[in-house]
Order: sequence, then structure tokens, then C-alpha cells
Amino acid sequence: MHIVVCAKQIPDPETPPSAFKIDAANNKVIPAQGIAPVLSQFDGIAAEAALRIKEANAGSKVTVISMGAESAQAAIKQVLAMGADEGVLLNDPAFEDGDSHTTATVLAAAIKKLGDVDAVFCGRQAADWDMGQVGLLIAEDLGWPAAIIAKGVTTGGAGLQVTRVLENGFESLEAPLPAVVTVSNEFGEPRYPKLPQIMAAAKKTVTNWKIADLGLDAGAVGKAGSRLKLERLFIPEKGGKVELMEGDTPQAQAAALVARLKAEKIL
Amino acid sequence: MLQPTNVPERPQRHVGGWWGPAVGVSALGFYAAVTAEGTPGREIGFNADHPWAVYAFMAALVGLMGYGFVRHAGLWMVGRPTPGLLREIPHRLRNAARLGLAQDKVRRDRYAGIMHWCIFSSIVVLTIVTAQVAIEADFPLKFLHGPYYLFFSFYGDLFGVIGLIGVGMALYRRYFSDFHRIRWDERVEDHLIILGLGLVLLTGFLLESARILVTELDQHPDWAPWSFASYALALGLDVFDFSEGQILWLHTWTWWVHITMAFGWLGLIVFTRLDHLFFAPVNAFFLRTDSPGRLAKIEDIEQQEVFGVGYIQDFTWKQLFELDACVRCGRCSEVCPANIAGQPLSPMHLIQDLKGHLANVGPAIQRHQHETGEIGREVSSVALVGDVIKDETLWACRTCGACVQECPVMIEHVPTIVDMRRFLVMNEARIPATAQAALENLEMRGHPWRGTALERTTWMEGLGDVPIFDGSQEYLYWVGCSGSLVERNLPITTAVFRLLREAGTSFGVLGQEETCNGDPARRLGNEYLYQILAQQLIETFKAKNVQKVITNCPHCFNTFKNEYPQFDGHFEVLHHTEFLAGALQNGKLVAKHTVATNVTYHDSCYLGRLNGVYDAPRQIISMVHGANLTEMQRNLSKGLCCGAGGGNMWQEEVGERRVNHVRAEEAVRTGAESVISNCPFCIQMFEDGVPAVHPEEEGRMKPFDVAELLEQAVFGPGAR
Ligand SMILES: Cc1cc2nc3c(=O)[nH]c(=O)nc-3n(C[C@H](O)[C@H](O)[C@H](O)COP(=O)(O)OP(=O)(O)OC[C@H]3O[C@@H](n4cnc5c(N)ncnc54)[C@H](O)[C@@H]3O)c2cc1C
Ligand code: SF4
Ligand code: SF4
Repeated sequence: MHIVVCAKQIPDPETPPSAFKIDAANNKVIPAQGIAPVLSQFDGIAAEAALRIKEANAGSKVTVISMGAESAQAAIKQVLAMGADEGVLLNDPAFEDGDSHTTATVLAAAIKKLGDVDAVFCGRQAADWDMGQVGLLIAEDLGWPAAIIAKGVTTGGAGLQVTRVLENGFESLEAPLPAVVTVSNEFGEPRYPKLPQIMAAAKKTVTNWKIADLGLDAGAVGKAGSRLKLERLFIPEKGGKVELMEGDTPQAQAAALVARLKAEKIL
Repeated sequence: MLQPTNVPERPQRHVGGWWGPAVGVSALGFYAAVTAEGTPGREIGFNADHPWAVYAFMAALVGLMGYGFVRHAGLWMVGRPTPGLLREIPHRLRNAARLGLAQDKVRRDRYAGIMHWCIFSSIVVLTIVTAQVAIEADFPLKFLHGPYYLFFSFYGDLFGVIGLIGVGMALYRRYFSDFHRIRWDERVEDHLIILGLGLVLLTGFLLESARILVTELDQHPDWAPWSFASYALALGLDVFDFSEGQILWLHTWTWWVHITMAFGWLGLIVFTRLDHLFFAPVNAFFLRTDSPGRLAKIEDIEQQEVFGVGYIQDFTWKQLFELDACVRCGRCSEVCPANIAGQPLSPMHLIQDLKGHLANVGPAIQRHQHETGEIGREVSSVALVGDVIKDETLWACRTCGACVQECPVMIEHVPTIVDMRRFLVMNEARIPATAQAALENLEMRGHPWRGTALERTTWMEGLGDVPIFDGSQEYLYWVGCSGSLVERNLPITTAVFRLLREAGTSFGVLGQEETCNGDPARRLGNEYLYQILAQQLIETFKAKNVQKVITNCPHCFNTFKNEYPQFDGHFEVLHHTEFLAGALQNGKLVAKHTVATNVTYHDSCYLGRLNGVYDAPRQIISMVHGANLTEMQRNLSKGLCCGAGGGNMWQEEVGERRVNHVRAEEAVRTGAESVISNCPFCIQMFEDGVPAVHPEEEGRMKPFDVAELLEQAVFGPGAR
């Protein structure tokens, strides 16, 4: 069984609010100084799901793929340290500033290039933009079935047995291989890497594929291929306003308060 | 004038103990003996017609001890080599004398100290007495006559009586008191040892008195009283009017019983905890000569196959050796915060479990190593970490060092526990979820405080110009992760900052450039992560030309001071209390405002017990007019951990109670209005613990740092 884990590196969601800045003119997030990007939380969980299947099925293999900047190597290494076998980085200026759709196009092309893939595991959503689209779009591109927001995945039956989280319950599915699964936090915590594996991962080389390696058309990826247009990026303003009720006596102040609350339709 | 008002005594440290009085009494005896008249002496081997038996017993004993030693040593040798044991020999010899022979630590329990000294000195002196008898009997050297003989009789009896006093105290404690800890792991051998010794001493007196009855009582009435105890016994026996034949019969039989029991008792050394007779002083010699706050560095960590200790043979042989020294006294467990709170760790049982495991699997490992020359990790199917020592046991340790401090035979539990933790974390990656989150946070964000909304510069707001350290200032003020990223600690950081500024100190801070120094990673067992973080920070320090550091936090203090030298980072490190006490002393700070308040003081383990800074914080408190200090019952080197040490700040506790509740209770019991400490972790633990044990908000004790108290005294109450 060969499973591909799609792992995205994102700005640290725990960046203190005071350090989170945006470039309003260019609709971009300014990377916070001294705060390194991290592996998106759900992708660590997807990796855990893949590794448990690998451990339960001798001869299995896990490949981790990330599309992103050179820094995304760190995210790949992290999953390698958890126990994945190989890593592929898709780093090309042409991929930049895309949307979920172009991201999926790039990832799907890489999965096709790998060839012998039986399953793709994604996070339920990337913890920065929270679109939750890429997994489904990869499935679309590859023409594979997809089971999203899974709290459990094992091998069995026709291929995979998946338990999905629904709004008010769970759903058990059987998926034939190959298939795409997006994994949710209900699955459990990702493992803490063992030091021997961290060292082994540090020695592994990550494969680097550019747009040419994937045989993609520059117009179909990145900003050029995006169908989604970001109108405005801004930090919502939070504020409070104080109004002191006038009145000579407490009674008069209370009456003024009631009138005011009624005017606001709170009472 | 700088003397703090009610600081209790330090635990005693002087060498010698109660040898003084005993030697004094003996000297008096000696004086009396040389002034006595006549040529006293006696027939050696009187009535004992089988002196060969003594040598036969002796030979058997020596053989037995040889066998015992070889067997023990074989087990120790399955361990790894122990580096550095032969460095600093003079220091080590001093330790062996002070801690081994003078038994400084035994005396930390006063009753046991007296008891143990009585027994120990009696055995030593009576062995010398016996040796002299043997020399007199079987060597040409003759000296047991004249005044010396009388003196000899006197001190022989004196130390026999001292021994009986010791045995009596031991019997009382074991059988007639509710002294709990000696029954935590009581075994048959414990009864044998103490009853056996009592009988050996008693038969010794009986023997002596029988001889006196026959050879001295009537013949040399002026010699006999020198053996005062046997003399008294002889007078007692005399009442019964036994015939000489009966007394000789009694003498013969007593002799056999005495000699058999004495050698039998010595034989116990080989099979029971009596072996501490030898192992304790040797272990004192092996005791570390560096700071107890320092954990060992794993050299060339990237080249290791196994990280930490997951198999008994991965311990150093010193660590295995010291298991044999344990006497199951329970002192360690009695002071262990985890054990006190009913959590799954008792250092005594941990040591005994390791010892048992070594005895079980050691021989097979020994054989394997002998045959194959390999370490033999696969020899035993019982996992050391997980089966023999449970995960939760290792996690419950606070690395507070209380156990090490109390252990009378100088066992060092903390390195042993941390070694196994290292295996758990680095090799097996079995970590409680919250501790794992802290470690991951260290890796990802360079600090252990997951989810903090603060930045490393947040505390600076409203303080005006905060100097950034650029190498031109004298001191680096190291704020630390807890000092900058945990809301409660910000006032402490600003207090120290304002006091440093007020004192005209030349200092700067690193601000955004601070990263964790690695202490939580090392305490949690991730030595690899620690080394990365430490090396990074040492480089930063060197690049910025840092020479002197003032820290907020005793953990940072300990790491910089004791552990960074392992990575070639040598800095002069002061905890803020040390610096501030100095500034008060030389007048750079003046505590001009009265702060009328009753306080109690909590010694953090990493400042107090592990680094010996007890005075500076108390001096500061004593210099604040109006501040009245009431000590807690457990204080100074006997202080109880707040519960956060050893990475427990980031763990869910398992067990009956939480350690911080226990400690908060002790603080509340003093009736003080605030509990003063010196460590951000302690403060957080009290913030959480005090409300739990004192639910009513009214009149509830408040935790403060020493610096916060001093800030009020320097700038006036509410001056912030
Ligand atoms: C409004 C908006 C603004 C944007 N601004 C920027 C920007 O400033 N800078 C920028 O670089 N990009 C930007 N993007 C692009 C963004 O990175 C892509 O949308 C993203 O790669 C895919 O969407 P998502 O992160 O929401 O993924 P989701 O659909 O939420 O992700 C689901 C799963 O897909 C997988 N996955 C997603 N992305 C990757 C990846 N890159 N590599 C590997 N696996 C992946 C993961 O397993 C993930 O858990 C923006 C997108 C939008 C919609
Ligand atoms: S270091 Fe402290 S917590 Fe750990 S075993 Fe010793 S006394 Fe107990
Ligand atoms: S380890 Fe030391 S303190 Fe603990 S029981 Fe053994 S001898 Fe006593």
C-alpha cells in the first residue's frame, strides 16, 4: 500500500495577535518576524493516519508531498521524522499565489507522476485559510472517490474502511482503492517522533519537482490559474464604546438606560 | 545588622559528630589506668580451648566475602564505564570521610543519627578490641598488660554499652514506635541484623563476666571494675553461688554462641543490606563532585544507538553499584513530593526495583556479554522502562533532589530517573500529551508555553526606554520564557527591571531574540532538543559578548550556571535575588518604605537545594521594614518542591493529590498573608494551589516574588 500524505506549511496559528500583520495594499499576510511557519495541524493527523496503516500492513510506504516555498522542507522533514519514507517538495514560482483549485492541480499532477499510489490522505482543511477544498479537488482531478472529515481509517473490505464525522453522528463507509481521504482532528494526536527517526529523516533527501517535472502549463497553476479572487484582506476591528447615562437621580439614569436599550432593541 | 530575623539553623555540616564525647571519656579512662598500680593482665584465650575455631570462622568469612564481592562486582560490571570517577581524588576522599565515616547525612535524622553512631562506633571499636586480643594471643607482640590492659578493658566495655544503647534505640524504633518508614519495605533480614547484633553484644558481656567471676573478682578486685559493665554482671551472677565448674561450662558455651553469632552476623554483610558498611563510604567516594543541579551530557548524541537508559546494562556501573548501597531506610521516599502527594513514585522502591531487576537479569546478561562481547540488550524480555519501572513513575519525578539530599548512602536518584526518561522520550516517544505539547512547542516556537497570546516584548510596555543588550552593558538581564510569556509573571519581570534600573545597573535585555535555553526539554528527557537549543543560545550569547547574566528564573539560572559549561558556555550567572540582596547591601537600593505584612518564604528547589542560595532572598525580606517572616516547617534544604519541577509544569498529575496543594497547605498553615518565592513556576503553582486549599477568597494568602515585595519597599506600596 502506497499512501501519499499532502502536508501544507502555514503561518503559525499561535502567532500572538499583536504580531499578526497584513499588507492591506497587496492583500497579503506579512510573515511575523521570528515566528517560523509550522505544519498545518490537520496534516500531522493525516500523516498519523497513514503511518498507522503502514504499520498494520507490511510492505507499505508513505510519501509526503508539500507544495510551497523552500521553507516547507521543514514540514516534510517533520512527517519523515514521524516515519514517512519519502518526501517531495513542489516548489516553483509559477505555483505561487494560487487557490485551492490550482493547488489541487499541482498536487494531483505530482501524485500521477509518482504512479503507484493507492491512497491520498489530506487534512480536513488547512489551518490557515480553512477552505477544506484541496482534498476533494485532488480526487476530482484524479477521478478517485473521496471520503472527507474522517475520524477513523483502516484497511479492510474493498480497500479502506472510513468513519466520517457528521454533524450529529458518524458514518461508516467502505472505499475502493485508489481513494482520497481527508482526516479530521477526531482521529487523534499525531505521534511524537522518535529520535532515531528524526536523525534518519535529517539524512534523507527531499525530491524537488518543478513545474516542468510535472508537465503542467504555467497558465493553469498559481496566480495565473486561480479562479478565486481575493477582494480584500483585513483584520477585523474590535472595539468598545462607553456611553454614560445622564440623569440627576439614580432613577432618572435607570430610566434613560432603559430607553436607550429599547432604542437598540435589546430590551 | 544584615542578619535575617528568624532564619532557622542550617542542617548541621560539621565533621566528627559524637566521637568527641566518647573519645573524651576514653581519655579519662586512660589517665586513670596509667595511674593504677600493679601489673594487670590476663590469660588470653582463657578457658576457650578451640582458638582454631576463630581462625576457621575467619577463613570462612573471608571466603564468603570474597564470593559476595565477586558476585556483586559481576553484576555491576554489566553496566557502562563511568567516566571521571578518579578525578578530584582529594575531594572524593573528603566525601568518603565526611559522608561515609562521619555519616553527616545519617545525622539529618537525629534519632537515627545517634542510634547509628552508637552501633557503628561500637562495631568499629569492638573489632579493634578483638583484633588486639588476636594479636596478643598469636603474635610475639605482647601489650595487653599493665595500665593499657585496664584501659583496654574499660573502653571495650564502654563501646559495648554504647552498642547496646544503639541496639536498644533501634529495637524501640522498629518494634515499639509507630515510626512508619522503616516498615515500608521490611524484610526478615532486618530483624536478624538487629536482634543478632544485640545477642552478640550481650553474649560478649556474659563471656567477659564469666571470666571475671573465675579469674578476677576474688583474685584482683582492683582490676575487675575496669570492665565496668561485665563487672556489674559478674557481681549479679555471683549472687547465685555457681560452682567454678558451672561457670566454666557457662563460659565455654557462651564462647561458642558468641563466636558463632559474631561471625554469622558479619556473614550477613554478604547477603543483606548490612553490606552498606562497605558500600556507603565507597559510594560517598563515588559521589559526584559537580553541582547536583547538573544533568549529564550525552556526548556525540547523533552517534548513539540507544538514547538514555532502556536496559539495565545501559546504566553506568556506578549507577548499578549504588543500588547495592541502598538500606531501604525510606528517607528518600519520606521527603519525595510525589510520594507525599500519593503519586506513583517512591524513590526507595524505584531503587529496590532496579536492584531486583539487576539480580534477575544480570547473570544472563553477564553470560551473554562474556560470550559475545556485545551489550546484550535483547537478553531479557522484561522491559526495564515500562514493566519494571512504570512510565508514570518516571514522569512523576520533579528532579527536586530531595531524595538525593537525604539519602544516607549517597545514592543519586535523579540522574537515574532522568536517564530512563530520556529513553522514554527519545527512543520510545512515549510522552504524556501535555508534556508532548510543551516539547513540540519548544521545537516549533522556541518556548514551552503553548497558546500564549503574549510576545517577548509585551512586558516592556509602559516602562519607557528598555535597553537592548548590545555587549556594551555589564549585565544581560535574562527574562526567560515564563517571565515574558505568562501573564502572571509579567509584574515580576517589570519589578526586577525597575529595581535594576533604580540601582543604576548597567544592563540590557534580549527582547525578541530570547529563545528557550532548553531546560524544560532536558528535564523532560529530550536531551537532543536541549542540546540544539543550548548550543544556539550559547552562540547568541557569545556573538553578543555576554559575560554576566542576571536571571529571573532559578531554572534558567541553574542551566546557565551549571549546564552551559558542558557546552563551553562559561558565564557569570546571578539569580535576581542574589543581585538585589547585593544592591541593598551596598546601598544602591534603599528599601525606604514600610511594607507591613506577614510573609512566609518558599525555597524553590533549583535555587535552594540544588544551588544553595538560601540566604539572599531571606536577606531581602529581612531588609524590608515591616515584613515579618514565618518559616514553614519544611524549609531550606528540607524544603518541599512546589510540584512544577522536572517538567511537571506541563503535565497532568496522576495520584491522590496535587503536590502544589500539599505545599500550599503548608504555606497557609503559617498564617502569613503572602507566600514569597523566587521562581515563576513556584508562583504559578501557588496561584493555583492556594485557592484550592483555601476556597474562601477573603483573607486568602497571595503568592509573590521576592522582587515584587522589594519593589513595594523601594518605590512605595502600589507604586506601579
Ligand atoms: C483568500 C485566499 C488568499 C490566499 N492568499 C495566499 C497568500 O497570501 N500566500 C499564499 O502562499 N497562498 C495564498 N492562498 C493560496 C492558498 O495557499 C491555497 O488556497 C492553499 O494552498 C489551498 O487552500 P487551503 O490552504 O485553504 O487548503 P485546504 O483545501 O483547506 O486544504 C486541505 C488539505 O489539502 C492539503 N493541502 C493544501 N494545500 C497544500 C499544499 N500547498 N501542499 C500540500 N498539501 C496541501 C492539505 O492536506 C490540507 O490539509 C490564498 C488562498 C485564498 C483562498
Ligand atoms: S527528585 Fe524529588 S520528585 Fe524526584 S524522586 Fe527525588 S524526591 Fe522524588
Ligand atoms: S535510596 Fe537512600 S534514602 Fe532511599 S531508601 Fe535507599 S538508602 Fe534510604
